[in-house]
Amino acid sequence: MNFKTSRRDLLVNAGLGLGGLALSGLLPGGLSVARAADLLDPLAPKQPHFPAKAKSVIWLHQNGAPSTLDLYDYKPDLVKLAGQEVPESFLKGIKTSTQGGVGKLFASKRSWKQYGDSGAWFSDLLPNLSQHADKLAFIKSSTTIGATHDISILKLNTGDLNPGRPTLGAWVVYALGASNPDLPAYVVLYGGTKEPSAGAVNWSSGFLPAVYQGTPFRPGSSPILNLERPELDSALQQRDNLDLLKRLNAHKGSRYPQDTELQARLNSYELAYRMESSAPEAVDLSKESDATKALYGVNDQDPNVKDYGTNLLKARRLVERGVRFVQVITGPVDVDGEEISWDAHKELEKNHTANARMVDKPIAGLLADLQSRGLLDSTLVVWTSEFGRTSYGESGNGRDHNPWGYTQWLAGGGSKSGYTFGQTDEIGLKSVGKSVDTYDLQATVLNLMGLDHLKVTYLNNGRSERPTVVYGEVVKELIA
Amino acid sequence: MKTKQAVLAFLIGLTAAAAAVEADDKPGGGAVVDAATDAKPGAASVAPAVAATDARSDTTTTAATSTAAAPVTVAATDSKPDAAAAKAPPARSQLWSYQPVKRPDVPAVHQKKWVRTPIDAFVLAKLEAKGLKPSVDADRAAFVRRATLDVWGVIPTPEQVKAFVGDRSPDAYEKLVDGLLASPHYGERQARRWLDLARYADSSGFQNDVTRPNMWRYRDYVIDSFNRDKPYDQFVKEQLAGDELAPNDKQALIATGFLAGYPDNYNSRDLVQRKYQITTDMTDTVGQVFLAQTVGCARCHDHKFDRISEKEYFQFQAFFANTSEVNDIRAELGAQELAYEAADAKWKEATKDIRAQQKEILDPIRDAALKYHKERYLTDSRAAIFKPESEWTAQDRWINHRLANVTTEADYVSYLAYTGENKDDPNYTPENGERYEKYKKLTEELKQFDKLKPERGSDKITAMTELGHADAPPTFKLFGGSQDRPLEEVQPAFPAAIANGEKPVIVPAVTVLGHQFSSGRRTALANWIASPQNPLTARVYVNRVWSQYFGTGIVKSVSDFGRAGDKPVNPELLDYLADNFVKEGWDVKKLQREILLSSVYRQSSEYRDDVFKADPENKLLAVFPRRRLDAEEIRDSLLLASGKLNDTVGGPSVFPPVPKGLNAGKLWTVSKDEDDWNRRSLYIFTRRSVAYPMLDTFDMASAQQVHSKRDVTTTPLQALTLYNSDLVFQWSQALAGRVIREAGDSQTAQLDRLYQILFARNPDKFEKATFKAFLASHEKVIENKATDGKLAIALPVGLKSAETPNPIREAAFVDLVHTVVNSNEFSYKF
Repeated sequence: MNFKTSRRDLLVNAGLGLGGLALSGLLPGGLSVARAADLLDPLAPKQPHFPAKAKSVIWLHQNGAPSTLDLYDYKPDLVKLAGQEVPESFLKGIKTSTQGGVGKLFASKRSWKQYGDSGAWFSDLLPNLSQHADKLAFIKSSTTIGATHDISILKLNTGDLNPGRPTLGAWVVYALGASNPDLPAYVVLYGGTKEPSAGAVNWSSGFLPAVYQGTPFRPGSSPILNLERPELDSALQQRDNLDLLKRLNAHKGSRYPQDTELQARLNSYELAYRMESSAPEAVDLSKESDATKALYGVNDQDPNVKDYGTNLLKARRLVERGVRFVQVITGPVDVDGEEISWDAHKELEKNHTANARMVDKPIAGLLADLQSRGLLDSTLVVWTSEFGRTSYGESGNGRDHNPWGYTQWLAGGGSKSGYTFGQTDEIGLKSVGKSVDTYDLQATVLNLMGLDHLKVTYLNNGRSERPTVVYGEVVKELIA
Repeated sequence: MKTKQAVLAFLIGLTAAAAAVEADDKPGGGAVVDAATDAKPGAASVAPAVAATDARSDTTTTAATSTAAAPVTVAATDSKPDAAAAKAPPARSQLWSYQPVKRPDVPAVHQKKWVRTPIDAFVLAKLEAKGLKPSVDADRAAFVRRATLDVWGVIPTPEQVKAFVGDRSPDAYEKLVDGLLASPHYGERQARRWLDLARYADSSGFQNDVTRPNMWRYRDYVIDSFNRDKPYDQFVKEQLAGDELAPNDKQALIATGFLAGYPDNYNSRDLVQRKYQITTDMTDTVGQVFLAQTVGCARCHDHKFDRISEKEYFQFQAFFANTSEVNDIRAELGAQELAYEAADAKWKEATKDIRAQQKEILDPIRDAALKYHKERYLTDSRAAIFKPESEWTAQDRWINHRLANVTTEADYVSYLAYTGENKDDPNYTPENGERYEKYKKLTEELKQFDKLKPERGSDKITAMTELGHADAPPTFKLFGGSQDRPLEEVQPAFPAAIANGEKPVIVPAVTVLGHQFSSGRRTALANWIASPQNPLTARVYVNRVWSQYFGTGIVKSVSDFGRAGDKPVNPELLDYLADNFVKEGWDVKKLQREILLSSVYRQSSEYRDDVFKADPENKLLAVFPRRRLDAEEIRDSLLLASGKLNDTVGGPSVFPPVPKGLNAGKLWTVSKDEDDWNRRSLYIFTRRSVAYPMLDTFDMASAQQVHSKRDVTTTPLQALTLYNSDLVFQWSQALAGRVIREAGDSQTAQLDRLYQILFARNPDKFEKATFKAFLASHEKVIENKATDGKLAIALPVGLKSAETPNPIREAAFVDLVHTVVNSNEFSYKF
C-alpha cells in the first residue's frame, strides 16, 4: 500500500479523471459547475486568475476590538484635548451611544516612539512587534459597519451583517482548492479552551458546499473531531477493515461504472486514513527547536502568551504544509480571575496591557520565523479586528466601539512593507481621505492570492454571488 | 452561434446560461446572452461561473442594511442596472412561471402498459421523443428500502421488507405506500424538509446565541400539519397570518413561528436597524419559500432579471411593517407544560429567599439602571426609547416592544458592575460596589439550585403578531437599500408582473367586540399567495415535493422560478401536478401518493449505457436517480439498525452527546436522560452557532437562511465520522449483538441477517466469500493484538455471556459490521 499517492493519483488510478459525467444525483446541490474533475474532487488545486504573490494567509483576528489609538495611531492632539467634549464637527454623520458618560475625549496613557526606516509609530504596549515595523503595511483608515461585535465580525468574515454568506477562507478554498489533500485547506485556531462565541458562522461555507468550510483545530494533540480511532480499534485492525471496505465498495461500484461520486467516496476513506497521522503531525511542536519555541513564547511564564504563541507556531507549521487559510482568533485573557477580550469599555489600561502582552511576542516571533524560513514572501499575515475604539472615553477609563476609523495591518505575501495607507482625523475618531472597508480588505487579500474578487463567483439560487457582495475595491497601494 | 452556446452551457453545466440561451422571453435579456458568449470555461477553472455570470453580478439582499458608515460604492461597483428590463412599465411578463397554470392534456404514448399514473405518461412522452425506454421496475426489496427512506427517513425493518416482498396481492404497492403515508414518521420526514426552508432553529444565533425555548412548538406544528394532511393553502395562511385569521387558536399562533425563525442579535444597539433586518428576513424568506422569487435582489436595485422593481420590493416589505415578536403567550397545558411548571415551581420555591434578596438589592437602583441601559442604544433608537408612551408612533411602539423583549435582569446587574467596580466611572458609588458584591454572592448561591431547574421545555408560545393596533409604521423605498436614505413612502402591494393587476384588499382584523387589533396586511398577502389563481404557489410546492423524491426538481432551481433560474425540463408535467394538486384540495399526501405509485418512481437505478450517452444528467428520468442519504437519514437509520432508536414524536429539543474536543461549553449541555440521546435527528437542538457535528458533516441544512436544497459533498471528515466516532462504533457493537441474537450461531445466517437489516437483501456470493476470508484473517489480527499485552477488544453489545463463546471471533464480527455500516451501499438509496 502506497500512502504517498496524491489525491489526484488515487483518482486516476481509480480509472477516473477522464471527465465522464455521471447520472443525475451526482451534482452537488447548487454547484454551478458540472465538470467531472470538480465533482470528483471539489478540493482539487485550481489555477488562480493571475500569478499569486501569497500562497497562504494567516488571519490574526483580535477578538473584542483593540484600541488602535493605544497601539499604532499616535494622536498628539488627543492628548492635548483630553478631558474636553468631542467637538460637534467630529461627530457629524455618526450614530453614537451615550452610556457611561460618552463624550469627553480620552487620551492614551502610553508613551510613543517611531521605529524602523519607515518611522512607524508604536506605543510601548508592543515592544516586540515594533521591531518589525518595516515588515508591515498599515491601513490606518479602516471603516466598517456596526456597533455590536458579532455583527461586525460577520461582516469582516462574510461581507454580511446577517449569517448565511461564505467566509473569506471558504471563498479562497473554493477558488484555489487544497494544495495538500492530507490536511484541511482552511483551518481555524482559537485561544482558550472554548470555541469563540458565535462559533461556526465565522468559518462557515455559507451557501457554498460544506466542503469549503473552515475546520477548527482543537487545542491538544488530536486537532480534528473523530481523528482518533475508537479506543479498542488498533491501527492494524483499522487498516484491515479499510481494505475490506475497499473491496465491498469496488464490488458494488462495478455496477455503476460512471458513478464518480461513489468512487470519490471510496477514496475519501484513504484520505481520512492519511489525515489520522498528517493532522497530529502538523500540530506537533516537539520537533521544533527551543530557539523557535522561545521566539513565539511557547514556554513563556504568562499562560496567555504561551497559548497564543503555541497557536501561531501551529499556524506556521500549517502554512508550511500547504494550508491555504489559517484563521487565528485570540482567546480571552485571564486578568485577576476575570476573562476579558480586547473589549475595553472600562479599565482600558489593565485590559490592553494584558491583551497586548498576549499577542506582542508571538506575533513578532511569527514574523521573524516566517522571514528566516523564507516563508514571509508567500504568506500573507493580516492583523485585523471587527472595529476599533473611540477617541472619547466611556465609564471614565475605557473606550466604546469605533467602526469609523481604526488601524489594521498586512505583512508579507506581496504586501508593501514599511508602508502606511490612509489616516484618521486629528483625534483618531474617523477616517479621512480614502478609507478601507472590509470589502476592500477582502478584495486586496484575494488579489494577493491571485484572485480577482469580481470573478470568484458562485451561482446560488439564481444569483451570481461573489466574496465582496457588490462592493470592494483592491487597495493597490498596499501591494508591493 | 447558438450551437456553440448550447455546447458551452452543457459543458459547464451552467444552468442559467442554458436558460439564457434558450430564453424566448428575454426583455433585456441581451446582457445575459452576451455574458454567456464570453464564457471561457477552459481558462478560468477557478470560478466555474465566472464569465457567464459576470454581467449578472447581482446585488444581493445582504450587507446593505447600512448605518451611516455604509459603503457608498453601490453605484460604482455594481454592474450596470438592467434598465430596460426592470424599469419598463408592468406590461404582462412573458416569463413562463408567471403565466396561469393550464391543465395540459395527458400525452399519448406507445408503451401504454407502463403508464400507471398520468405522471408516467408525461415522463414517458419525453423519453419516447428521445428514443429511450424507461427502466424496468426496481426489485421489491430495493423499492421498499427506497420508499421507506423517502417517506419516513429511515431504513425499513427486515420484517417490513419481508411482508412487502412476499405480498402477492394486486394492491401490494398501494398497501405499502398507504401504510407509509399513514405513519407519524411521514410527518417527521416532511417536516424536516419544511424546517430547512423555514431556517428553523432553537436559538437566536449571533454571539450570545441564546435558547429560544418555545420554537419547538412550531416544529411540532409542522409535523402535525403534515400528519393531519392539512391542505397546503391552509398551511400557508396559518404561517403567514394565523394570528390575524384565528387569534384564539393557539396552533395558528404557533404557526407564525415560521416568520419568527430569523437569526437575531438581542445585543444589538441599533434597534432601527434590527427592525429593518428582521423585516427584510421575513420578506425575503416568504418570497423564496412560497413563490420561489429572489425578491431580495430588488432591495438594493430593480431586479436584474425579474420584473420586480425596487419600489415593489419595499411594497412587499410593507406587509410585514407592523409585525412584532411576542414570546409570552401562554401555551395550552398538556403533560409537557405541567411537568415544566411543576419543576419550575420547585426551583422557585427553593430559591425564593435568595431571589427576594436579589430583588431587594436591585429595586433602589432600577430606574437609574434602566436609564443607563437605554443609553447604550444609538441615536435614533434612543429617540423612540426616551419618548413618553403617549407620544409613541407605530414605529416607536415596535422599538419599545423590542427593548422590553431583550432587556433582562442581567442588564440591571451590569449597571451595578460598571458603577460599583470602576472608580473612574462618572456614575461610580461605593454603595453600588457593595450591592454588586452582595448580588454576586447571591448569584453563586443561586447556582447551587440550577439542577432543580427544568432542563428543557416551556409553557409559552412564540408568535409573530401585531401589538393590538391596526396602524402600521410607514415603509419607504430606500435608496440602494440603505436605511438611512429613505425615498418615497410606499403602501403594501403585490409585484405587478406576478399578480397581473390584482391589488391587496387590506381590512384590519377586529376582535369580537370590534376592536381593531391588527393591520390585516399579512392576511391579504396570505390570501393572495394561497390562492388557486396564484401562478407560482402550487407550482413551487409540487416541484419541491418532486425534488424530494427524485433529487432534482422539474425546475432544478427549486427556490428560483425567475428568469435567472432554470426552466422546467417537463413543463407539462409540472402544470399537471400543480393543477391536480389544487383541484384535489391542496392535498399533500395525495400528491405524494401519486408520485410514489408512479412507474417513474418504481424504476430501477441500475446503470444503463444508452441512457448515459443520450441523457448524461438523467434529466428525463429513464433511470431512477440513486441518491445519498441525508444527514438525518444516516444517523436515524444507524440508530434503528442498532436497535437503539427512540421514536417518540414531538416535544422540546434534546442534546445528544458530542465528540470530545467540541468545546461548546454551556451552549451544548448533554441531556441527562439517555433516552433523549437516541431520538430522531429532527429533535436534536438546533444551536445556530454549534451545528451537531455528526449531521453537519453530512451537509445538514444551515439554519441561517432559507435552505432550499441539501448539498451532497464527499469528504474525508465524513469518513472520519463514520469510522472513528465513538457513537457509530457503539452502534455497530449493538448492531452486531442484535444480529447474533436474531440469527444465532451460524456465520451464514449472521451475514444474511446483517444485510437484511441494512440493505434489505442477502449478501451475494462474492460478498459472502469476501466476508469469510476477512473473518478468518481478521481474527488473527485481533489475536495478535490480544497477545500484545492487555486483551482489549470490542465485543458485540447486548448479548448474554453464553452467546459469546469465542470473544476473538465476536470482536472480528464487530469490525465486519462496523465496516459494512461504512460501505457505500449503506449511505445511498438505490
